[in-house]
Amino acid sequence: MKKIQTMMLLVLASLAISHTAVYADTTSASVSKSHGLSYGEYGRPTTLDPITSNDMISMRVTELLFNGLVGINNKQQIVPELAESWDQSTDSLEYTFHLRKDVKWHPKPGEEAKPFTADDVVFTYNIMMHQRTVTPLKVRYEFISEVKKLDTHTVRFTLKRPIMNALPKFTFKIIPEFGPANAAYLGRDDPFVQNPIGTGPYRYKETTANGEIILEANPDYFKGSPKIARFVAKPFADQNIMNQALMYGSIDMSVLVNPRNVPEIQGDKRLRLQSYSALSYQFFGYNTRNPLLADKRVRKAFTLAINRNEMLNSFFNNQGTVISGPFAPGSWAYNLDVKPLPYDTAAAEKLLAQAGFKKGSDGIMAKDGKRLALTLKVPIAQESESVKRVVLAFKNYLRRVGAEINIEFLEWQAWKEAVFANHEFDIMFASWVFDDSADISSLFHTGEIGAWRNNFGGYSNPEIDSLLVEAKNTLDHEKRRTIYRKLHERLAEESPYTFLWTLTNYAAYDRKVRAVQIHPYKFFPYADTWYIGEGEDDKANEPAPAKAK
Amino acid sequence: MKRATWMAAASVLSQELATTAALLLGVTLVAFLILYLAPGDPFAALLGGRNLSGAERDAAFEALGIPTTWYGQYLTWIAHVLQGDFGISMRSGQPVVREIFSSGIKTLFLTVGSLIVTLAIAVPVAAYSAMQPSSLRARAGTLLVYLFSALPTFWLGYMLIYFFTRKLGLFPILSATDETQEYGWLYALLPVVLLGLCNGTLSEIVRYLREEIARVMNEEYVRTARAKGASTWRHAYKEALLLPVSQIIAAKMPFVLGGAIIVEQVFNWPGLGRVTWQAALDRDYPVIMAITLLAAIVVRIGSFLHRTVYVAVNPRALQQ
Amino acid sequence: MKKKFHQDVDTVSEYSQLSAWKSASTSDRLNVVYGFAVVLVVAVSYVLGAFGWLPHDPEAMDLDTMMADPFTNGYLLGTDFMGRDILTRLILGIQAYFLPSVLAVFIALGLGSLLGVLSGYWRRRFETPVTYFSNLIDSLPRMVLMLLVIAAFRPSIYTIMVVFGITTAPTIAMLVKGKVMMLRERNFIESAVALGLSPGVIIFKHILWFNCRALLLIQATIGMAEAVLLETSLSYLGFGVQEPTPSWGNMVQAGANYLLQGNFWPSTAPAIAIMLTVLGFHLLGDGLNNILEGRQNR
Repeated sequence: MKKIQTMMLLVLASLAISHTAVYADTTSASVSKSHGLSYGEYGRPTTLDPITSNDMISMRVTELLFNGLVGINNKQQIVPELAESWDQSTDSLEYTFHLRKDVKWHPKPGEEAKPFTADDVVFTYNIMMHQRTVTPLKVRYEFISEVKKLDTHTVRFTLKRPIMNALPKFTFKIIPEFGPANAAYLGRDDPFVQNPIGTGPYRYKETTANGEIILEANPDYFKGSPKIARFVAKPFADQNIMNQALMYGSIDMSVLVNPRNVPEIQGDKRLRLQSYSALSYQFFGYNTRNPLLADKRVRKAFTLAINRNEMLNSFFNNQGTVISGPFAPGSWAYNLDVKPLPYDTAAAEKLLAQAGFKKGSDGIMAKDGKRLALTLKVPIAQESESVKRVVLAFKNYLRRVGAEINIEFLEWQAWKEAVFANHEFDIMFASWVFDDSADISSLFHTGEIGAWRNNFGGYSNPEIDSLLVEAKNTLDHEKRRTIYRKLHERLAEESPYTFLWTLTNYAAYDRKVRAVQIHPYKFFPYADTWYIGEGEDDKANEPAPAKAK
Repeated sequence: MKRATWMAAASVLSQELATTAALLLGVTLVAFLILYLAPGDPFAALLGGRNLSGAERDAAFEALGIPTTWYGQYLTWIAHVLQGDFGISMRSGQPVVREIFSSGIKTLFLTVGSLIVTLAIAVPVAAYSAMQPSSLRARAGTLLVYLFSALPTFWLGYMLIYFFTRKLGLFPILSATDETQEYGWLYALLPVVLLGLCNGTLSEIVRYLREEIARVMNEEYVRTARAKGASTWRHAYKEALLLPVSQIIAAKMPFVLGGAIIVEQVFNWPGLGRVTWQAALDRDYPVIMAITLLAAIVVRIGSFLHRTVYVAVNPRALQQ
Repeated sequence: MKKKFHQDVDTVSEYSQLSAWKSASTSDRLNVVYGFAVVLVVAVSYVLGAFGWLPHDPEAMDLDTMMADPFTNGYLLGTDFMGRDILTRLILGIQAYFLPSVLAVFIALGLGSLLGVLSGYWRRRFETPVTYFSNLIDSLPRMVLMLLVIAAFRPSIYTIMVVFGITTAPTIAMLVKGKVMMLRERNFIESAVALGLSPGVIIFKHILWFNCRALLLIQATIGMAEAVLLETSLSYLGFGVQEPTPSWGNMVQAGANYLLQGNFWPSTAPAIAIMLTVLGFHLLGDGLNNILEGRQNR
């Protein structure tokens, strides 16, 4: 018996030692000048090209690999990127871009780097809009009627109609004409989507067998060679483990730190926490087609019934700001005079009573025999833990005022269908990303009601409609601002959504990485200016936000 | 002895091949039908997110080169598989074979290692409790084994991670490939041990082994050997140990591919379990079908191996 | 006269229960007692949960007292990440898998017995197809099959348990078939047929009830234990019972997020519950196995 035991232990040990041989690898975790920077992602990107990718992880990688015609700097201004200058026709129907002449595509190993030309721009647009290319971008660019190459470094876009703030839309990434195997449309099986070639500060090197994506600095980058030699994206299936990896130096950076891990990282001398505004807000959206929710008093009552400050405090360590309307608190459109509704259950119940509801024997409000019972549909996002808490709290709060909420967790595709296509929901929970132009007409305008359109709640109000149209057509910035502030006020009163908050995102990284500027949701556009420094950086971490009451 | 083994293998092989082919067809057909009957459109991605039906859909399928009937699709898949083409993952666009192969090897490492751990624990405990059932070793061992079988795997995993990394600072949590090679194999130790302890059937295995050992120990020829003073194990090991262990391994073959899913999630181990889970989430049908087929093949191999061992130990069984 | 027949027939089956118990070892008795205690607690909790006789509201959140230790503020076992009472949710959590597990066990036993009897009793006709069918089910790792079904249908816990029951049936079929073969070997079946007993009586009364009941009972305990663990695993992967309905599995999973920061309790309390319950079922099966089958000649 003993012999068997020893034998087995020996086998186990030898297996373990042989593991070393099997897994000899050179990807480094320790940030240093030669080894570069590794960051953790929760999940893996599906594709690495800017057209077919439709998740945040892929988007971050494409930020390192590709450029657009223009870019947006951290002051929200348009800056030249692949185009060094541009002209806008007087009727705003034509945009002509003059392209840089010194840009080269990442070379394939053993080949010469090919120059970037207008052909690539035309190609990108055509392949993006092709019927068989599966991409979420088509909808965004339908306003373009045609693209024409004027000469090797000049491109003209003709629009179907004048668009307010069109320039930011030309930040879409350009891919090379010679890149995809199929010249007409880009399919998921095209090798280009896994072996991308761009013009950006980093070149795609390889994807290891473990799914780690290795990017190398592009020494010929037209803005100057980036200072960090390598970027490695490491996928994690478990957020807790990813956080551990960060604490242990296995990865150098985490792009989004879970709020509950913030205090821990704050205490770690090796890491720096950096906040960046998410430029997105979370909300509960109501389906006004349901007669119970068509009455704005009910919606407003719901907003009064939940304690947003308490939730923000308890779940997010107060890292965020409660909002009262569909704009970022820091943006020019936000009306600071419109304060968020307070937490007031008495007022909520009063409003419900005014709307004709009476509390039944089971504690649930009812009107004309119909109970106030509603279904809340929530997408199972990847990190659903904080989402879970928010929706559970919502249910709890509403029960106290006599509304019964049934929570249904659906997977992403099914949820999108229920909310956007079939409109089979009463309440939904989601977040919107702020558009640079603060154009919210697609959310609340009557004309935007329909399958797969953004006014999924079916909200229709002629006053709001006319304000939205007016804002869209006003070209004067100050006038627009006034209109938007009025819209904010009206929407807060109308409550087509219960606006929750905008969260402060935190990234955490090894202090050796310096000059880190972070883009709100693309994260990496300024990565070419980051560098790895020597010596101590004794700038203190930002103080933890105080708990508000 | 060697010749007997070869002959055993040959005869078993011919029987097995026929059964195997039939089984593989059955398994893949079942899997395919399950996926086919599922609500939701597996081809949504290919159709570009449009909701087509009826004649439009058929036309789109024809344009894409896909047969419109379910058996057509199934047969096409089989035809491709026989040529070695398992298709392309709907999620990543990569050939399925590559993904499954590379992740399969990593999972194999985990599960084979964990089987060794399981056996290393189960055999002594079973032997002690079969031979000296009232001894403290047997009782304590059995109780511990049962305890571990009853714990949720991932909870134990997290606890282990917490204690080893936080409190003891021993195992840095690295991704499966890391440059600090002196920790490389240590890192693998934790998931392998965890999986070996917590695959849920440790108690069953101990129970089974114990019965078999006790039974064999009571057999005439063993008692005779004992009475003669000869070493019991030398006579008994084939039936008491080899046979049941191979039966266990054969029975655990399905586990080899699929059992590591939880542990892989917890430790971020890039193995087949993770791929399967991701494919289930994404409804990545080519991947799921390929994994199903692979799992079935592995099981058949296990069964074949077991039968060979059985016949080699019990040549009489050939007459069955 | 009839009595005598039954007595003769009985001698092929186990010893009577009472003498088996008396001659059992202490540890086996302890196991069985503990196991029964567990079953009792589970059943009582099920009833408590069904009638809503719970110490607290399972969904009432208390954001000031999140993840509290036991005995804080009247929360006997502390609170979870939403400030909800853990004890209440533990009790209610049994609802989530009790009936589905019982369903799974029923299906496993029923289908398994059916297949076992078919392939043992009417060998010529049924042995091959049943063996094929059993092998078919066995060829798929349980988790892979689960994920397959989940990927396709996103089913409820009941459907999942039905599939689980089906995957366990082959084992039971094999065991039952083994019994049938053994009885056949001893000419038991031949004599029963010669005595004029109908196949129905033979199968149900004599084969299944007299000879297989111990075996089936033990498999039932194993099945219940595995069902609990299965639900736990599925909850971790995100597929089990969904919030806000508590299940021990999703409680462990939700709490696990906070474990690495040192908040052990929200995850450990349900884990201990799972462990004690599964242990109970296993020990019960083990004890019963030793007591009921120990004397049986092989």
